[in-house]
Amino acid sequence: MIGDSDDARRAMRLIRWYPRGWRQRYGEEFADHLEQEFAVRRVDYRRSLNVAYKGLVARVDDIGLSPNSVNPAGRTRAALGTSFVLMALMAVFALNFWSWAMILWSARTYHPIPVDATTGILTATTGLLLIVLGFMTLIVIVCAVRQIVRGRGRPLVAPFVFAVGSGAFLYYSVRWLPNMLARYSHMFQGGYRWTHPGPAAYGLAFIAHRVTQPWISMWDPGISGEPTSQAVMNDLAPLAVLVFAVSMAFLVRRVELPRICERHGSVTIVLLSILSGVFLLALVAWFTAGGPMYATFGETGNIAGVAYLIFLAIVTVLVARSGLLARGVQRDVPSSLSFPR
Amino acid sequence: MTTLENPLAGLGRNAGAAILILSSLAGGEKHGYALVKDVQEFAGVHLPPGTLYQVLARLESRGMILALEADERRRPYRLTAQGATVLAEYITAQQRVLQIGQARLKRSWSVA
Repeated sequence: MIGDSDDARRAMRLIRWYPRGWRQRYGEEFADHLEQEFAVRRVDYRRSLNVAYKGLVARVDDIGLSPNSVNPAGRTRAALGTSFVLMALMAVFALNFWSWAMILWSARTYHPIPVDATTGILTATTGLLLIVLGFMTLIVIVCAVRQIVRGRGRPLVAPFVFAVGSGAFLYYSVRWLPNMLARYSHMFQGGYRWTHPGPAAYGLAFIAHRVTQPWISMWDPGISGEPTSQAVMNDLAPLAVLVFAVSMAFLVRRVELPRICERHGSVTIVLLSILSGVFLLALVAWFTAGGPMYATFGETGNIAGVAYLIFLAIVTVLVARSGLLARGVQRDVPSSLSFPR
Repeated sequence: MTTLENPLAGLGRNAGAAILILSSLAGGEKHGYALVKDVQEFAGVHLPPGTLYQVLARLESRGMILALEADERRRPYRLTAQGATVLAEYITAQQRVLQIGQARLKRSWSVA
């Protein structure tokens, strides 16, 4: 039991740099160790910096991106949660990229075959990515609700509230979407021919762009005639996307999932990393093959475009790494121990 | 290089601290603060608390040390057979480097 002396309180403050799992395992003895150090030298800024830095390192270890987690059995869940955050953020950018590519593709009369092929790959990977993420969201939310209803949802309440709140905010920020869909409905019905998918693809891309552009823009000055509240909501949308993704990651780590989902956790991460890798390669090939460059993306520009590409590459590498680590764990740890409840 | 580096490879920049901790535990089980005092005494190195517990956690997860039952809040650690093997191999390799270095210094620079 940790005491309530001044030294004990100082030790507790320093231990907060570490993740929960680490604190549960080493917290008591580490606090005792720190209190003994305080007795010899009360103030030592280098010591405090060392603890803070190592605490942050332990947090990185804890999110499934390092083989050094203190809880190897929980690494697959951690990797799944982290991959969800990274891929959800990437999906927004991917949808935005794809919508631009498709709008520009639709606007051209001549399409070189490589541009057609890469646009098709971008479309397929973006669609699959959204389906996988949507499916994950659905499973996690349903399992979380079931767990809460059964009275075992105490650790889920905070992330659940944040996930639902940020999700509702995002939905409210695009509340004009049903009207827009109704306006473009003629593109999806009557007269639609599979041999000429251009108008429907253009319609989808136009709507996807309208939805995602405020989500990826850090600052939206608003447009003439638009209510100020909408401009404020657009400015808060990137934050809401991040809050939603992080809340979902906490839910992924804490929720009781069906055994089949647990068994396929690492496979899901590998699938996500493959999709992000294919999307990135297709995007680079699209530019190389003659797809319009970012200079034509009036609202982004070359520097932002290169930054997005670097972001996508980092996401791909991190998700692939977490997937490989998770697969390594599933090989090493018996399945009955993989996901302690 | 030699195979003995493999068990310490994942410790990165903390491999030196790991060897100090393994060497200290080779003399008997100790808790964190006793480890720091011992290392300070025989190596003149002060292990900061964050570094100490990072290395303890990694050595424990690799099976080189064993956490024993806590005595109130102080948990002693014990060197395992695997940890002893890694330490012995490391010391043997270092002795070989030491002997070669000394011999070359003596031959080329007449320094013992």
